[in-house]
Amino acid sequence: MATLTSPSRVRGNPSPLRHLDMSLIFAVLFVAGMGILMIYSATQNRFETDPRFFMERQLLYVLLGVGVMLAVASIDYRVFRDNAHLIYIATVVLLLLVVSPLGSNRKGAQAWFQLGSFQFQPSEWAKVALIVCLAAYGAAHRGDLDGRRLTVLMGLAAVPMVLIQMQPDLGTDLVFGAILLGVLLVAGARPRHMAALGVIAVVSIVLVFQLGLLKEYQRDRLTAFLDPKEDTQRSAYNLNQSKLAISHGGITGQGLFKGTQTNLSYVPEQHTDFIFTVVGEELGLVGSGTLLALFAFIVWRIWRAAALSKDLSGTLICIGVLAMFVFQIFENVGMTMGIMPITGIPLPFMSYGGSSTIAFFAAIGLVLNVHMRRFT
Amino acid sequence: MTAPIRPGDNARLRMGVLGMVVLSLFAALYARLWYLQVVAAPESERAVIINQVRVVPEEAPRGRILDRQGRIIVDNRVSQAVTVNRVAFRNDVETVTKLAALLKIPPAVLVNRMNDQRYSPYKPVPVAEDVPEDVVVYLAEHRDEFPGVAAEQLTERAYPNGNLAAHVLGYVGEINDKELKDHKGQGYRLGDDIGKSGVERSYEEFLRGTPGLTKLEVDSRGKVLQTLDSQPPEQGKDVQLTIDLDVQRLTEESLVQGLEAAKKAQDRENDKHFVAPAGSVVVMDPNDGAVLAMASFPTFAPADFVNGIKPEVFQALNQPESHYPLSNRAISGQYAPGSTFKLVTALAGLENGLIAPNSSLTDSGVYRVPNCRGEKCQFQNAGRRAWGRVDLRRALAVSSDVYFYDLGARLWLQRDRYGTAIQDTARKYGFGQKSGIALESEQAGVVPDPERRKRLHDRFPDKFPERNWFTGDNINLAIGQGDMLVTPIQLANTYATFANGGTLHTPRVAAKVLEQDGRPVQDLAPDVVRKTDLGNGRDAVLQGLRGAVAEEDGTARGAFSGFPSRLPVAGKTGTAQVAGKQDTALFVGFAPYDNPQYVVAVVMEEAGFGGSTAAPVARRILEGLAGSPPGPVQLSGAID
Repeated sequence: MATLTSPSRVRGNPSPLRHLDMSLIFAVLFVAGMGILMIYSATQNRFETDPRFFMERQLLYVLLGVGVMLAVASIDYRVFRDNAHLIYIATVVLLLLVVSPLGSNRKGAQAWFQLGSFQFQPSEWAKVALIVCLAAYGAAHRGDLDGRRLTVLMGLAAVPMVLIQMQPDLGTDLVFGAILLGVLLVAGARPRHMAALGVIAVVSIVLVFQLGLLKEYQRDRLTAFLDPKEDTQRSAYNLNQSKLAISHGGITGQGLFKGTQTNLSYVPEQHTDFIFTVVGEELGLVGSGTLLALFAFIVWRIWRAAALSKDLSGTLICIGVLAMFVFQIFENVGMTMGIMPITGIPLPFMSYGGSSTIAFFAAIGLVLNVHMRRFT
Repeated sequence: MTAPIRPGDNARLRMGVLGMVVLSLFAALYARLWYLQVVAAPESERAVIINQVRVVPEEAPRGRILDRQGRIIVDNRVSQAVTVNRVAFRNDVETVTKLAALLKIPPAVLVNRMNDQRYSPYKPVPVAEDVPEDVVVYLAEHRDEFPGVAAEQLTERAYPNGNLAAHVLGYVGEINDKELKDHKGQGYRLGDDIGKSGVERSYEEFLRGTPGLTKLEVDSRGKVLQTLDSQPPEQGKDVQLTIDLDVQRLTEESLVQGLEAAKKAQDRENDKHFVAPAGSVVVMDPNDGAVLAMASFPTFAPADFVNGIKPEVFQALNQPESHYPLSNRAISGQYAPGSTFKLVTALAGLENGLIAPNSSLTDSGVYRVPNCRGEKCQFQNAGRRAWGRVDLRRALAVSSDVYFYDLGARLWLQRDRYGTAIQDTARKYGFGQKSGIALESEQAGVVPDPERRKRLHDRFPDKFPERNWFTGDNINLAIGQGDMLVTPIQLANTYATFANGGTLHTPRVAAKVLEQDGRPVQDLAPDVVRKTDLGNGRDAVLQGLRGAVAEEDGTARGAFSGFPSRLPVAGKTGTAQVAGKQDTALFVGFAPYDNPQYVVAVVMEEAGFGGSTAAPVARRILEGLAGSPPGPVQLSGAID
């Protein structure tokens, strides 16, 4: 590597490790630790399993995730970029396999590979892989995206999205859409193209509802946030319980492990998609506000890494990661508070889940990677 | 390859836009969080208190248990009961007095019932049953005055035939910790009922039904706001047994009469009356292993277990003096088979070619072990009778011990050729292993052999001082003594196998599972364990067993004198010596002997000779099966 021409030589240390963003790492670990605590609070009263089962599993996932993060950071991101086509093919093959009979079906979605007592969910990995691939293609054209290149980029994203809709997993597809939009915006898509895409998005959402492409439970969940007082159906009931839990926390919260909504299991899927309600009820505005601030800090560090990147591919990788985090945080937290429709996507580093947790760490690994090699 | 982003670049502007979007999204989240946790918080505080979902489980009535002909043996009874939920009850003098007056019971009785330790704290305690309708209405209208008190329809087990077939039916009780663990994931909760023994336990999965579940939204005072979800209980399936109520009743009566009669008889060996504390009978269809009747004495009342058995009653059932009425001796009692085992010895001799059907010897009443120089070289017939020339048929009919001593001795002395022939045959006909009948706590019995003796000695040299197997052991085994132990169900099953021509079945007590309206759910078909070719020696053995009942010197001749000829019986008596106790009386028979429909095995503890005590019990049962009105059991004067 041409270290002699690098500006870092002034500091006398050519190792990129010197530029590791420790504040980002600490922020992420802090949130992950909080997640483990909240998962324990949400699951300790389950009588069908060991009260520490979910907590211990999540701890394991976080440890694995840290390892994956460091591993991803240690390989120059340009190696990933230059092999993006291989990553892309591997991802598509995995997504094909999971909808084949090799994959497992749970709760109506064909989205897992069963490995012993663990499940591997390739769509979580696909998000990170797609970020690298979109960034690689976008960067290759130096911020000049004409109609043809724009179409190729969208096509690249469309293939995994269609495969994921076959599972079906609407939430993850929406994350893909957010990543695509973020990358297009910064990669240099023309304003009129962006406007056209916006129109297409609105029209297709209307069409999806009108043509009944969604299963009834999906539609119920998605629309329940519009007027939850109207019906007493399952989804609206769940949403009301979720909002009530957060609201019940008040400013200082009911205290750790003392949330009655939490302890009495009023909120469904509380250790996964609705983990934010535990923070809201037990730690109040102080705790949940702090958590949001930590998320904002993480997002700012990612944005900063994007801005400092030595090249456009690094910028686009960081922007993809940023879009993914922002969308998942906003959609997940917004859903628990009733300002976004209910879709099953996890809150980064908080929700229980192996594949998603490790994938989020891998994404942070990419950002660290870009950040620490900004001079090399 | 790609150029770095410079200030003022297009991309820089675009990232600024992105940053603004992100900022506004976070701002929106904060705004909403502020609204929920500051503005709406006081209202939510109230909402959470109202917000209580109560799940009210309702146990499903169990399926009924029917007899072979579809008659109800175990039924359900609905009782309008008043229950008290101890957690919610306001336990003060005023409330207790008011409730006692309403239920027309003394306050002390009410308090006693409420504190009944048989109920888990999770289950409301019934304090009054069969409560009149107006009391129920009053309670419903004055709910606030009696928190935790409810009128409930309780379904409980009812036994229209009393204690009949108690051991087969088993009983139901509240689930315990271990059962809860064993049935994890099947929806059991603390306080639920579960089949504890007998058919109630074996066929729990069918009998139990699906509990109902009502989810109510209630406020903090327990007032129901709305029903969120309701799922009615679904009654369990009926189980139809192979047991026939009439045969069962006949069998139990006969056993009790036999034991009573034995108690009045003198034990010639020590001039005492027989103790005759216990016994059991199995009646079986040899053609498919269906158990028609299974009696075990002493017995118990399954009704005592309804709503929890009283501790003192349960304790009494587990006292040694009561001879353990809960134990089903027909499957868990292990006895030396005595001469009833000669069937196996005879078949072992025939199968291995050691004897032919016409092989005979001279029975002088005493058998001397060849080349023997120890203290126990001489074995005698019971009662020292000398039978003269006996062939296999006659040896069985008169129960010549010498004939079988000789067989046992020769099989051992020529063990290079015959191996452990008696044991092998015994196992082939079902001894030494559980029969597999669908009733819990069955015992396997013991088929002793040189291998086992060695193993036991090596592990516990103090308890089993002898390590080697001698000729004398084989001689003892040949007449069903020594360490040989069988259960009554095994005994019946072995004779059933011989009677039907060699098919060993798994005995069964249940025939099918039915819906309430009689539609079939599942057939519990007969199960064949193995088939054995009985060869051409079967006829001599059959004639020998027939002779035991019908011939002049037959050991059961006296017991069956005057028995109706339309149901010709064959069988074998047995009198087993037990160290420190009086003899066990045994009889196994089948009829009609040339086309068997019934096998009857009778085992009576400390009751004397099989021919004089057990055979008359079997006779009375077979008499009933033949369609004659059975008279009282009368002991006869046989000596084996």
